Amino acid sequence: MLTAVKNQIRVCVFSVKYNIMREMLNKVTFLTNILFMMLNNGAFIIQWLILFRLKEEIGGYSIHQVMLLWGLSASSYGLSHILFARVFSLPEMIVNGKLDCYLVLPKNVLLSVMTSATSTSAIGDFLYGFLVICIFCFRIDRLLLFSLFTITGALIITSFSLLMGSLSFWFVRAEKFSMHMTNVMVSFATYPDGIFKGGTRFLLYLVIPVGLAIYHPVHIMTSFDVGMFFTVIGYTGLLTAAAITVFYLGLRRYSSGNLMESGRM
Amino acid sequence: MSRMLKKYTVIYKSVLIENLQYMFNIAMGFISYFIMCFVFIKLWNYIYADPGDLIAGYTKEQMIWYVMITEMVWFGARSSTITRQVSSDIRGGNIAYLMNKPYHYTLYILAKYTGEWSIQLPMYALLATVMGVTMIGSLPGFRPVTLLASVPCVILGVTVNAVFKLCISLLSFWIEDSAPFQWIYDKLILVMGTLFPIEIFPGALQFLFKLTPIYTVCYGPAKLIVDFSAEKCAEILLTQLLYLCAGLLLMFFIYGKGVRKLYVNGG
Repeated sequence: MLTAVKNQIRVCVFSVKYNIMREMLNKVTFLTNILFMMLNNGAFIIQWLILFRLKEEIGGYSIHQVMLLWGLSASSYGLSHILFARVFSLPEMIVNGKLDCYLVLPKNVLLSVMTSATSTSAIGDFLYGFLVICIFCFRIDRLLLFSLFTITGALIITSFSLLMGSLSFWFVRAEKFSMHMTNVMVSFATYPDGIFKGGTRFLLYLVIPVGLAIYHPVHIMTSFDVGMFFTVIGYTGLLTAAAITVFYLGLRRYSSGNLMESGRM
Repeated sequence: MSRMLKKYTVIYKSVLIENLQYMFNIAMGFISYFIMCFVFIKLWNYIYADPGDLIAGYTKEQMIWYVMITEMVWFGARSSTITRQVSSDIRGGNIAYLMNKPYHYTLYILAKYTGEWSIQLPMYALLATVMGVTMIGSLPGFRPVTLLASVPCVILGVTVNAVFKLCISLLSFWIEDSAPFQWIYDKLILVMGTLFPIEIFPGALQFLFKLTPIYTVCYGPAKLIVDFSAEKCAEILLTQLLYLCAGLLLMFFIYGKGVRKLYVNGG
């Protein structure tokens, strides 16, 4: 059992490694993608500088906390797209019957699909998050927590996208819906939760999991709370398990597209 | 000239009819637009502590309407035709076939793109109006007759933006992936003209922004709808026409240079 898990992890690591090596074939494009994505994210610092000129705090956040929020959103999103980029195009693969090649692999189907692509620009997102925390609010304990929450955030974003993407097993036109739902999560993740009240907060913490992926971790990094910490860890585990279960339930309904294509599309 | 126009009108019409089939898919994009506007309504509600406050000369209602209009243009005019399609045509070699067709490749792309936003943009405009009226109330001082001048500004702004984005996509003749340059251009437009009116920036920067496409692409059209004045309208229209001419010249220049490079490399 342990050997099987170790082998599966090795396969995933190799898969991601070769994805990145393939992207690095053109080094100029590879580096441009990473650097420009960091610049692209950096442009939003201007937005927040302008807003903080108008008001000292926004939604109970200082500029440093907003940078922490932005950094965590970017690095979680980045890590998710570095390791599991294919999850975000899962609906198209289901609709077009492109999962065939993964079904015949002697390894775990879901992990094989998830790790079969990497987004180069996501490396820029990932690095940007760490750069932001080092510049604006560096502390060793905070950096450790930030690294941990980057992993939980990436798992929550991936699981949510997997859940939404798996809807395509049941509904024909779900691919656009799942894409927009993932975008909705990212849109909310870069604004302080203090500006939302009532029903919206309920939505952000229970329906779109941005509350536990980003907001709670930011609160924990600002002032540590054991209860909140374990809530985030527990929720990540639960959502991941739910997403995996739904994917395999849906996979039973999958019908082949009869496509003769390799696994690296 | 009229024969040439007819050619591109046929392309425009065929794309328009094709896109009418995908109205449901376009409507799915409403989710993202709704959420973006919702976030900004909440944000500005928080920042305007007193509803009577003025920020950079804008009331709360005007500020929210401004963001809703610029976001409407942003969402309603976005398309992969002028970005990803051009890049993949060049990178994949498809351009070698398309450049031999009896049309100019760049004008063909512009006609196709216009056919796409001609469906999308009015749908988003309708949604923006319904959302604005129900969530923040009618726009103070707005006279529907001013739309006769504002709508051409919106159309020209979208076209100027398309021409500049097309110029960036044509860089794929030299670099493999022009997407990173698109991100930077988009962010400049988004952060400095879409999310806020330029009056919110310090004076020196405002002057600088007036010299960039930000002024013609998003600020100008939205400003006219929110706070119309005939002088401003004339100024914006003139700037847009200047930018359109400069952009088209640049586009033909880059395409001409790029095509020669393609010939040297053998496609």
